[in-house]
Amino acid sequence: MSATIGIAPVRPERPPGRFGRSASRLGRSVGQRFGGIMAIGVKELRGRMRGRRAFVVLTVYLTLIAGVAWMIESIAERSLANSFGGSTNASAQIGQGVFAALLVLEMVIVIVLAPSFTAGAISLEREKQTIDLLITTPISSLAIVLGKLFSALVYLFLVIVASVPLTALVFVYGGAGPEDLVKGYLVLMVTAFGLGSVGVFCSSLARRTQPATVITYALVLLVTFGTGLVWVFWGSLGNQSSIIAQGPVVTGPDGNVVQGPAATRPQYPPEALLWLNPFVSIADVFCGTETGFGGTCSIIATVTGRDPNVIANGGGVNVGGGVVTGPAPAQIVKGGGVLAPVPVPIAVAADAAFGVAHDTFWPHAALAWLVVSFVLIVASVQMVSPTRRWRPGWPFRRRRATAATAGTTVGGPATHPTVGPATDPGIGRDPTAAPDPETTPDVRPGPEGAKEASS
Amino acid sequence: MSHIVRTTGLTKRYNRTLAVAGLDLDIAEGEIFGLVGPNGAGKTTILRILATLLVPSAGDAEIAGASVRRNPNAVRQVIGYMPDSFGVYDDMKVWEYLDFFGRCHGLPAARRRRVVADLLELVDLAPKRDAYVQTLSRGMQQRLCLAHALVHDPQVLLLDEPASGLDPRARVELRELLRELRNLGKTILISSHILPELEELCTSIAIIDRGRVLVSGRVADIERRLRVGAVLRVRVLGDGEAAEAARAWFERDAEVAAASLLDDGTIEIGFRGDDAGSARLLAEAISAGLRVITFARAASDLEELFLQVTAVDEPDAVKDGTAVARKGAAA
Repeated sequence: MSATIGIAPVRPERPPGRFGRSASRLGRSVGQRFGGIMAIGVKELRGRMRGRRAFVVLTVYLTLIAGVAWMIESIAERSLANSFGGSTNASAQIGQGVFAALLVLEMVIVIVLAPSFTAGAISLEREKQTIDLLITTPISSLAIVLGKLFSALVYLFLVIVASVPLTALVFVYGGAGPEDLVKGYLVLMVTAFGLGSVGVFCSSLARRTQPATVITYALVLLVTFGTGLVWVFWGSLGNQSSIIAQGPVVTGPDGNVVQGPAATRPQYPPEALLWLNPFVSIADVFCGTETGFGGTCSIIATVTGRDPNVIANGGGVNVGGGVVTGPAPAQIVKGGGVLAPVPVPIAVAADAAFGVAHDTFWPHAALAWLVVSFVLIVASVQMVSPTRRWRPGWPFRRRRATAATAGTTVGGPATHPTVGPATDPGIGRDPTAAPDPETTPDVRPGPEGAKEASS
Repeated sequence: MSHIVRTTGLTKRYNRTLAVAGLDLDIAEGEIFGLVGPNGAGKTTILRILATLLVPSAGDAEIAGASVRRNPNAVRQVIGYMPDSFGVYDDMKVWEYLDFFGRCHGLPAARRRRVVADLLELVDLAPKRDAYVQTLSRGMQQRLCLAHALVHDPQVLLLDEPASGLDPRARVELRELLRELRNLGKTILISSHILPELEELCTSIAIIDRGRVLVSGRVADIERRLRVGAVLRVRVLGDGEAAEAARAWFERDAEVAAASLLDDGTIEIGFRGDDAGSARLLAEAISAGLRVITFARAASDLEELFLQVTAVDEPDAVKDGTAVARKGAAA
């Protein structure tokens, strides 16, 4: 080993035996993968946390949400004080208002920041021509993608977690419990992870950061507003009147006239359409804080098709032995109880007290985001790796090919003279001219090469 | 002698452009192998394939027994790659830059610290340890990039135009550095479109054009082959007529391929003979009464050969095409 830089010419490091080798290879690959993620993460965070910028952003953000919390609190206080008669649970309502406002604000911040942190992850490396240096190290493409994603998310999670004490303010007022807070933050983090994956995916798809950012934000808009619009549009196409359509009135065996099942199910769009919409998930979390049916819970119930009215309708329940010919909506107000002694449909009562089903939406949504993230990460890894097995099809093929050609210094045909040197007739042939199979028999690629060339 | 880098029928095509056409190279351990060729000859493509950044269209390359196709990860552990144009990360200090690549190669913390310190010493950047990478000069960045390629103590170094964009002083420093690495037993594959840059450094070279090897072998062998087509420059005392008479005399010699009179009165002779032949020619010329002032072999370095075999394909050469064409014709 040399004294100056410790360079040994060869490292004979071969574990004996077949099993030992594969086991050590497995261990090495796991270690390398994890080490690679750490290497990228440390590098990214060093850059991100250096100087004052990161802490200034954090401070501004906390000041902002503190201000919003204070404003919401005072608005709610005033409006409740002015309302006639006041309310016995005004404090809880203030708490819920503050909780909702903070969660929505944090979600907006996640939606804005997560793509911006990740949309340049891979494309910036390409632009700065540092990606080649990364790829020629033994760290895997997966480690590059995950390292980039996690380091962006670590800062984002820091921002999110830093707001926990502020959000805990709602405990002073009541109206939202710790489990609601946990659910809310879970939704925030899963959304951050999902949107971060979208950013990384776009970053590895596009060659430059600018289009990557544009595509990312377009997708985010599509997910947040587009899905909602499509849902409403889809719903308007369906037979909305069927919600209140009655089933046929039949006479039961005991002589009572009961209403049969509704002829048609209400034509709601599938719930899955909104799974990726973070605001609907947030609404479901609010629903968890509400004691009655109304507000966000009614939205969630509509989305998930658990509308108590609908169920009452379709079930054709015979309540109280009388003839029920119409829906029996429970008149429930937020924070109050059942005001009018209206029979509660049994089907709903079995689902949850007060006709409200909690946590029906956001777990699905979180799962959907995780699945989407997984798919996007796998796709990103494929596109980062230079030796990947498949390549994206037509729209990307040409751009990639031209970029690759430009990357290497292949001279254009314009610079080639028409006359080659006399020393070797083979040298003068211009390979950039249209290929002539008869003159280039020795360089025809094999089956793999043909595939490569055609892709 | 064991071959540490071996390519067999290596081919790479981009759509319709053939960048590397069935390349067969064998590079022995400890060699400094120069890839020379005009811009667009395929040097960068070859190095990128060896660095596992490109998949060959056909053929294969092996480095230390590992195939770039089948086992790129094993290849990455034995190579250090320095691209021709590379970027540096913003917001990163010099030591952090090397530390980062040390982490990427999975070096444990203690060894990483030692290697970073040693490498900074080697590339003469120790005083810049805490400077930001983007504040370094081009030559320093180049040396830093070379240091990054050495972090994991690779057996083979792939250096793509390492001297491009450097001032003469930085070039000399780089050359010193490469000599030092050669003494450490590294096999170095280095590309350049400027041949004299490699001539004194390399043990072997391959002249490449349009993806094919035109000439390859040890530098001395190639130079010997070059002697076959030497150029003699002769001046004689007297006016244009005397020069023309001398040109005509020289042209009659059996070993002279061609003799032309240049504007400045120099007679340029395409000579097929060796050193003994040129001595004989001079003796005969003097005994024939020619009043020879100078009689010299034209700068017969590899560059002549380079221009001969690659013809006027270089975009640089096209710019001052007349000079190159003249040289090419004379050769």
